[in-house]
Formats: sequence, C-alpha cells, structure tokens
Amino acid sequence: MTGGPNEAWFTSLPPCEALVPCGQGRHAVRWEAGELRLPNHADPEAELVLVALGGEKARCVEIAEAWGRHAADLTVLSVWPRGPADEVAVSWDDVGEAAQAMRGGGRGGPWQGAPRLASPPRAAMARAAIRHRQHQQEAGQDSQRRLDMLSLLALGTEFQVRLSGQVAAAYADRLDEPDEYGRNVRSVMTAALDGRLAPVAERWLGLDPDQVEVSLHPDPGPGGYGGAGRPSQGGSGGMGPPGKEGGGFRGVVSPGRHSWGSVELTGRGEQRRLRVSLPAWWLARVWACGLALTGRHLVVAVERAGWPDARVLALRAPGAEPVSLSAHASDGPPGTPDAPHWEI
Amino acid sequence: MDREGAETYLRLLAEAAMRGSLAPAAEPLVPNASRIMVVGHALTAVGALDPVTAEEILTDFRLAVSVRQLHREPDPGSGQTVAVARWLSQGRAVPRGKPRPAQFSGAQFSGAEPSGDDADQDRADRFVPVGLTVPFRAGAISGELCLMSFAQTGTGARFIAAWAVRTPSLEAQLGLQHPGLIPFDEFTVTDDRGARYQLDHTPGRDLEWPNLISLRPAPPESIRWLDVAAPYRQAIRVDLRPPGGYGGAGSPPVRGVTGGSPRGGDAAQVSVSDTKLSPGEHLLVMLAERLLTGTPEFPRGGLLAAPAGSRRAVAAGFGDIVAALEAAGVLSPLSPVPARLATLCASLGLDGHGIAVPPTLDLPEPWLSLLAHYQRRKPEPTQMRAGYAALAATLPELDGLRLTLLGLQHTQRGSALHVLVQGRTPEPCPGPLDLDVNFPLSVWLRDSGGRWHAARPDRCYQGDRESAIRLRLVPPLTRPAEWVEVLAGGRSAEVRATLPLLWRYPS
Repeated sequence: MTGGPNEAWFTSLPPCEALVPCGQGRHAVRWEAGELRLPNHADPEAELVLVALGGEKARCVEIAEAWGRHAADLTVLSVWPRGPADEVAVSWDDVGEAAQAMRGGGRGGPWQGAPRLASPPRAAMARAAIRHRQHQQEAGQDSQRRLDMLSLLALGTEFQVRLSGQVAAAYADRLDEPDEYGRNVRSVMTAALDGRLAPVAERWLGLDPDQVEVSLHPDPGPGGYGGAGRPSQGGSGGMGPPGKEGGGFRGVVSPGRHSWGSVELTGRGEQRRLRVSLPAWWLARVWACGLALTGRHLVVAVERAGWPDARVLALRAPGAEPVSLSAHASDGPPGTPDAPHWEI
Repeated sequence: MDREGAETYLRLLAEAAMRGSLAPAAEPLVPNASRIMVVGHALTAVGALDPVTAEEILTDFRLAVSVRQLHREPDPGSGQTVAVARWLSQGRAVPRGKPRPAQFSGAQFSGAEPSGDDADQDRADRFVPVGLTVPFRAGAISGELCLMSFAQTGTGARFIAAWAVRTPSLEAQLGLQHPGLIPFDEFTVTDDRGARYQLDHTPGRDLEWPNLISLRPAPPESIRWLDVAAPYRQAIRVDLRPPGGYGGAGSPPVRGVTGGSPRGGDAAQVSVSDTKLSPGEHLLVMLAERLLTGTPEFPRGGLLAAPAGSRRAVAAGFGDIVAALEAAGVLSPLSPVPARLATLCASLGLDGHGIAVPPTLDLPEPWLSLLAHYQRRKPEPTQMRAGYAALAATLPELDGLRLTLLGLQHTQRGSALHVLVQGRTPEPCPGPLDLDVNFPLSVWLRDSGGRWHAARPDRCYQGDRESAIRLRLVPPLTRPAEWVEVLAGGRSAEVRATLPLLWRYPS
C-alpha cells in the first residue's frame, strides 16, 4: 500500500488490534485506516438504541464512543506517551477498578449525613441545591473523561500512538484557531513536538533532551513535504521562547519546492543546542507512524506514505542536506512488539 | 505582550519536567510541579496567562506523571504509589465549559488601565491628620486612644488610631494587641450638629489589627468637627476641616499635611518621575522586595539568617521566571532588573536562583541600605519608644491607584505605615510566589537619618474600590525621625514625598 504526498497521515501505519473484556468474553477492537472498528459488534448504533431502552452498554461500544470523544482532544498530546521508551501501562483491571470507584463516587458527597436545619430557608436551599448539582455534574464529567482516558490507554501502545496521531492531524492545519475549549492550539502542538522530538534527538545524537529547542514550522502546504492535501494556514513558525530560530539548512518556499523546516546544532558543552523547526504534521505523518528515527536518520517529512514501504526525507546530521530515502517496515525488535520498525 | 509565547513557555516547561519525572532517579509526583507552579504564577500575575490555562497545564502535567506511576514500585522515600481511584480524582481538571473571552482579569502587573473613577466617591473623600490623644478609663482598664488621622470616603468614615491599654496586669503599651479590652462602646462621638456616632473595630474584628476604627453612621461631608469623649472625661475636639483646604474633592493631586500641628504643619514636598518599568520588570522588583522583607522571623539578619534550605527554596525558579517573562514579551533581554535580582540573591546567600545573567553593582539605593542593615554585625540600638505621627497625605495616582498616607506608628513589635489605597486594586492571585498583588506598589521610607525601610503589606482590609493597609517597615525605625521621605513606585512612575513628622507618645 503506497500513496502520494497527499495521502492521509495514517497511510504508513498498519492495522492493529486489541482484545477487550466485553460482556462475558473478550472482543477484538481494531484500528484500520484511521478508524476504530468493532468486528464483534455488527451494528453498534442499534446497540445504543437498546441501551437507551435500558440495556447495558457493551464495553467495546463504550470504547468506540470514548475514541470519538477524544479524537480531537488536545489533552491526549499532553498526557499520552512521548515515545517507545515512555510506556504507559494500564490494565483492564485498572479500568474496572476506576469504573467502580467512579460509580461509588457518585453517591455520598458533601451533603450526605450533614445535619439539617430545623427549617432551612427555601431560597438558600434552592441555591445550594443548584451549586451541588453543578458540582456533581462537573465532577461527573471530569471522572468520565478520565475513565475514557484509562480505557483508551488500556488498548495498548499501538492504539495510544494512533490516537495521538489522530489528534495531531485534527489540528495540524488549524494552529491559529482555538480548540473547542478555547485552548491555544499552537502552544499545545509546540509542546507536543518538543516532548516527542527531544527523546528522538537524544537517540539520534546523544544529546541531553533539554538541549533541544523546537518550534513549529509553517505548513509547506499542498504537495509540499509532509503536506496532506490541505491548504496551508501559513503563520509564523517559531512560537517557542525567543532565540529559537535556527540558521542551519532551511528549505526555501519557492515554486516547485517547499520547506520542511530546519535542523541546526549550535554551541558547545552546556550551551549546545539542537534547534529544530518542523511542521505540526510531523507529529502525525512521521512520529505517529514510527518513522522519526529511521536508519540513524532523522526523518523530517514523508514524501510518499505507505505500508510497508514509504519514501521519506531524512537528515543524516544536523545542518546536512536532507536526502530522499526508501524506508521499509518490518517486525519490531524483540521486546517492542507494538512499535513499528522501519529500516532504510 | 505575547500571551501565546507565555503559554508555550509554560507548556515546554511542563514537557521538560515530564522528561525529568521519567528519568530513572526521578522523584515522584510533586517536586517537578513546583517549577510549573512558580512560573505559572508569575505569568498569571503579569497578565500574560489566564489562571485557568495555568491550572490546566499543571493538571495535565500531574495526570501525565501519575498515570505513568500506576504500576511503579512505591518510592522508598515517600512510600507513594498511585491507585487508579486516586488518579481519577487527582488534580481535578479545570472546568472549561466554553471558550474563554479574549480578555481576562488578573493583569496585576500588566498596566491595564483601570476604568474611570467613580466621581461620586471622589467627592466624598476627606483625609485629615489628627494627632490627638484621648485618655480613657473603663473599670479596671485605662489607657489612651491615639487618633492619628481621619479618613472619610465613599465607603465610610474611620479613624486610624493606636491604643495604649493599661490593666492591673499589663503595663501600658502602644499598639498592644488586645482589642477585646478596648471599650469601644464606652466612647461617645458627637458632631457639630449634635448627631451621635458609634466607634467600631472595623476589619472583621481582626485581633492583630486594632488600628482601624470605623464611625457609624458615616457623618455628613459638611460637618466641621467631632467631639470624642471617653466615659466621664471631657471631650476632645477633632477638627475635620482639611488644613488649607486640602483633602476634599477637586483638591490638587498632591496634597500633604503632617500631623501634630494640623493647622500649621508643613506641607509635603512631592516629586514625580517616570519609571516606565515593563510588567516583567515590575514583577521582578516585587519579588526582590519580597526577598528583602520576607522574613519577619529573622528581623535582624533577614534571609541571611534563615537556614540554607529555606533560602534555597525562596529563590528557586527565578531563572525560569525571567526566561518565561522574556518569552511572554513582558521583559526585555536587555533589562537590568534580572541582574539586580541575581546580585540580591547572591548578597543574601540564595543559591540556585538560576538567573543566567551576571550580577551587577548597580543596585537601587534602598536595596543597598537594607542589605547593609542585614550585614551589620551588631544590631543598631533602638532609641525610640512607642509613639505615633499623624499623617494625611495623598500621593499622585500611580498605575490607577491612589495612595493616601494616614499615619506612622512605632511599637515594641515594630514600625508600621498606615495607608489607604483607592482605585481598582487587582484581584487576589494566590500562588507560590507570595506576591502582594492587591498592593502592586513598591513603597519605601527614608528616615531623616538616611536609612531606608521597606514597607510591605502586613494587614489589609479590602472594601469596595479601596483597601486600608498596614505596611510593616523593614527594618523598624530606631529613632524618631524628624521627617521621612516616602518613595512609592508603580510601573509607570514613582513618587517621592518628604513629610515632616511630629511624634506623640502615650503617657
């Protein structure tokens, strides 16, 4: 399976599957081509109708709903793993325990067992009841959100990475718009890039990850390296603290050629800095697809997405000219079954 | 101001802390959060970041760290491990029901212009130095009520006073904090028209603060005097006509009157100069002054006398704060203030401040004076007994705030300057930096001996658009100054007012 530069971000990712305790058995939950599928539930929507009539919701369906709720949730980029070495292990027992705790937490509360006034003023009671309901509602939403997160994390590393890619892709072309909660997308994406690129740079160059400074590079746009067929939003690239702009090799936006960003190594000793500017799409198309460090090269863009063969734009060293390379995917090394493994 | 830069900086700091927490030797949960909290507080205080975003970043960080510890071995030091149920409730997420408005409150140091003043409230303002002592006896309790000044604004009328209370078991001491012993109800207050008033201990019966005594009901603006009488004593007349016409609405922006001889006292000499501090510089100055004054438990040595661990904790994160303020565009990389702060830290023995710029010899004169005080080997002998000096001097407006000096007091516990702040004072901004954001001014006193004293809020009673504040002087006065120079600094300007003093002492 291959595709051109306008292919969807997940084209370089294979399908993956996890077994989920559901009802009396274990059901498969499958991710394929950017979608979550429930092979054991032929008609989830019909099941939801039954739930509305009093039936019990299947856990697989709950997970699919949670996936939908968090497919554009920037919190995923703040909480989810930063790389293969950053393992977040959540078991289904953890999820069950959390669900139980959440149900238990719904009872009781500050009013349980509180002494009652002999004749409480009605208005005061009404106001207090409203505040109590609001508090309960917020706490309930909060707990539900966290239970969602635990469930999604319990799906395992492959799903965790794919959901991160999904969220990054959801915002990569909308950096200058706030998300639905009013969060500054560019700030979140810059931090997400920093958190994921720094460990890659450590493995690439042996640098202290804190010596890596990142900024978001303007999207190269349609047809550009790493583009995804959507119009460029432009914008200024460097959104990190001042002084982060690099002066190393920098692609020049010109007809027929588009910028992928820049990677520059400066200073010595403790002043050494790797200054990297990459588009937000890098998170989805490169990092989430496991391509970030391939054959000792830092992959800066995907020229032609595909599984198990892709063509990437990669740097051998900071400041070097990027080279176009063919990458081939294989089973991961022992001990890392979930990580896609690419070789040049 | 670069709000996006501020938010990005804090998120990057959280990422760096995350990396630290993932390291094999990482300490669990809390320690790394402190940097995020400190920087988040600084960015919130300058208005570069709204508190909801700062809280959200911290919450996400805690979630991220704790979910990675679900199945870790408990840390040997803390014995902590994270249970799933705890993860569900930890660091409750910030409710974000809908997108935030572009503007938000909390720009304590941002220089946001306050809305127009309430003209009606201005017209009611009357500040009069009093400088009168009212002896009293009520049963076994006797003493003196020392009236420093009278202040009437749109929110009410009050005396700024000191008390000397004498009981069979207590010697009379000015300012001795036993408001429960003070017989407020026994006094009678009558105006020139025969109307009567009650005295009341205003600030929520704050046992530590018997200096603010309200008058109920508030008298009309037109009355000329009040007779204050203790039980079975002749009334003492308090003339409320502002000397020389000062103090009322429409009076000049600079009006200074000292106490003791209200009719003939010398007026204050006042000068105003531009300072043009950026919000970041102003914040750093406030932090520096917190360092200089923040240790009442070590009055002689200040932070120099504090244990090394405490000193290190005080300055931790300053380097991050400086970098964050630069990222937020509220502090120029060329600003001299970070170097001054670094020098101050070094002078106070505060390691680990993390400020990258080299120290400088260019420290403000008041800072040097206070450092010299701390570094003095022998404490200076105090040649001053408990007393007070009446004041009623309104300084020119600073950053939308109007400061009126209402009395200077010295007791065995220390020295204090009583002030009233009018204008839209910033919302409280609680956080780890211990900033007095509802008093975003820098106030210093230079006594007639040439020593500088920092004035830091000690007690505050916040009303509607005004706050009565007791400022503690660090170090306390050591001799009765003939005059003081008050230096009040805001972001945009600083005011210097020289005020002659007439000290009075209870018998």
